[in-house]
Amino acid sequence: MISIDKLTVKFGGVTALDAVCVDLHATVCGIIGPNGAGKTTFLNVMSGFNTPVEGSITVFNQPLLKMRPHERARWGLRRSFQQEQVADELTVFENVAVILDALRIDRADRHAMIDAALEFVHLSDLRNHKTENLSSLERRMTEIARCIVGQPRIVMLDEPGAGFSQTEVERLRDVLIGIYDFSGAMTLLIDHDVDLIRATCVETMVLDFGSLVINGKTEDVLEDERVRRVYLGVEELE
Amino acid sequence: MKNYGEKYGHFEMNQISGQWRRWLAPIIILIVALSIPAMGSALWLKVFTSVAIYTITALGISLLYRRLGQVSLAHVALMGCGGWVTLRLSHAFHLPFEFQLFAGGVFTAIVGMVLAYPALRMRGLYLALVTLMAAGGFSILIGIIQFPNGGDGFAGYAITAITHMERPYLAQSDEAFFVYCIMIAVLAYALVYAHEHAKPGRAWALIRRSEASAMAAGINVTFYKVWGFALSGFLAGIAGGLLAGSLQFLDARSFPVGESVMIFALTVVGGAWHWFGAIIAALLFRLMPALLNDWGVSGDAAFIFFGAALMHALATAPKGIAGQIAGLASRLMKSGDRHD
Ligand SMILES: Nc1ncnc2c1ncn2[C@@H]1O[C@H](COP(=O)(O)OP(=O)(O)O)[C@@H](O)[C@H]1O
Ligand SMILES: [Mg+2]
Repeated sequence: MISIDKLTVKFGGVTALDAVCVDLHATVCGIIGPNGAGKTTFLNVMSGFNTPVEGSITVFNQPLLKMRPHERARWGLRRSFQQEQVADELTVFENVAVILDALRIDRADRHAMIDAALEFVHLSDLRNHKTENLSSLERRMTEIARCIVGQPRIVMLDEPGAGFSQTEVERLRDVLIGIYDFSGAMTLLIDHDVDLIRATCVETMVLDFGSLVINGKTEDVLEDERVRRVYLGVEELE
Repeated sequence: MKNYGEKYGHFEMNQISGQWRRWLAPIIILIVALSIPAMGSALWLKVFTSVAIYTITALGISLLYRRLGQVSLAHVALMGCGGWVTLRLSHAFHLPFEFQLFAGGVFTAIVGMVLAYPALRMRGLYLALVTLMAAGGFSILIGIIQFPNGGDGFAGYAITAITHMERPYLAQSDEAFFVYCIMIAVLAYALVYAHEHAKPGRAWALIRRSEASAMAAGINVTFYKVWGFALSGFLAGIAGGLLAGSLQFLDARSFPVGESVMIFALTVVGGAWHWFGAIIAALLFRLMPALLNDWGVSGDAAFIFFGAALMHALATAPKGIAGQIAGLASRLMKSGDRHD
């Protein structure tokens, strides 16, 4: 459960988030909106990379903004970035292991946890391969494994489906749907693919020019007149 | 599901035969190195002793460069710090050599952590300039206080009466001390290897990918940056202590700022991405000028070669000479595989 109150972020003259107030309850929450709407900025504030000029965020009854970025990750806040961030010098296994390095977990549990996460994203066979030889979907899956290993509480994915074919997005979708059952974590999903959002997200919020347009049940939100207006001329919603 | 076995099958096989191949080159180099005293030349033994010592320094420089993308132009000065502490403790307490060596390393690690402080805020050229100024500062300071040579007081420096530093109990002769340096170099490699294949190595890999991704993975970026500098400083300090043990005294003029710049440049030329790049750097730094002198050419001519080599490295061979050798070796092995 994430409570956001009057969250405002400014970059010079640009107001990237404008007094956003919203409560997110669902196991999987979608965040949609046109480019530049402030979606990534919202995740960056959650991660602690951007500092809001005003407002507060409460996650599971804890104030989030006081924690330092790496402490948030240790607390259970995980994310992937719009631009994939797999370290090529490392193997698939090591790329996932970094998360557990920061937590105090003993060796045997560690291996079991990582193997379970890799199994979940169908990367078990590539466990000991350097990631430089992987396809982009396999790299994305490595990042998702990194997000779900250990005990995550919130998993935030920034346009994970961007740049993938229909069949690849379907494989990704099947994984995303399973995150809650696998880890118990709440997922925040940013994506432009409305079919993906419809298939995975229980609730969805819409941002436009830094303001909250609407938040509610995904099917209601996608039918809403205001959302159609936001996307007017943007083909994905047609 | 895609059949990964098919896609990566050849890869697996190479990995298995690669297991012993990986250790082949280090073992050959070690055997060659250990047979150097058999040459029976005191002059070349000295040269190769300093090659072993500067290999350790270059190892520290390449670690910083490769893992954190940081440029240090102060590593010869850091060697001076380690050397000073080692000498000072040796003349004051006459403890076993290893204690003093270790203390010199730890002290220099702390100096390295101080250098990490500006590195948390700046990178690239700006940081390089800060380290260069630190090196300059060191050379001025050491010109004033000099290296301890058995004198009294805090500085331990006396204009007359030079006492030589004691060498390790097991390595009194030049030959034995050379082997001692090789062994310490092997340990230094083991230390770096152990770091790179464990938690710090994974953290550094993510930091290099992007600091944001590292923070998002729960990595304390500041801590691991400082740790990288500390480890790199530790290696330079150990190298400085070994240099003190090799010469049995140190001269304030033997740690000029230019050498700090030079050893960095040669580490890039040698190849920061391959384990033997540091050895190549040290060979270029110490063996090359000695060879030129031996051939009757001024050792300074090496600088012209170094300049050209650096241009070459920056323009066409970002992985350095070691990268080119490794590429050549793997091509040869692959064509060998095809024939048998
Ligand atoms: N670091 C930054 N500096 C300046 N402006 C930024 C920065 N990050 C984002 N912005 C601006 O904030 C607005 C929202 O951006 P962003 O959150 O990336 O949008 P989205 O992810 O929804 O496409 C845009 O106008 C963008 O130009
Ligand atoms: Mg974005």
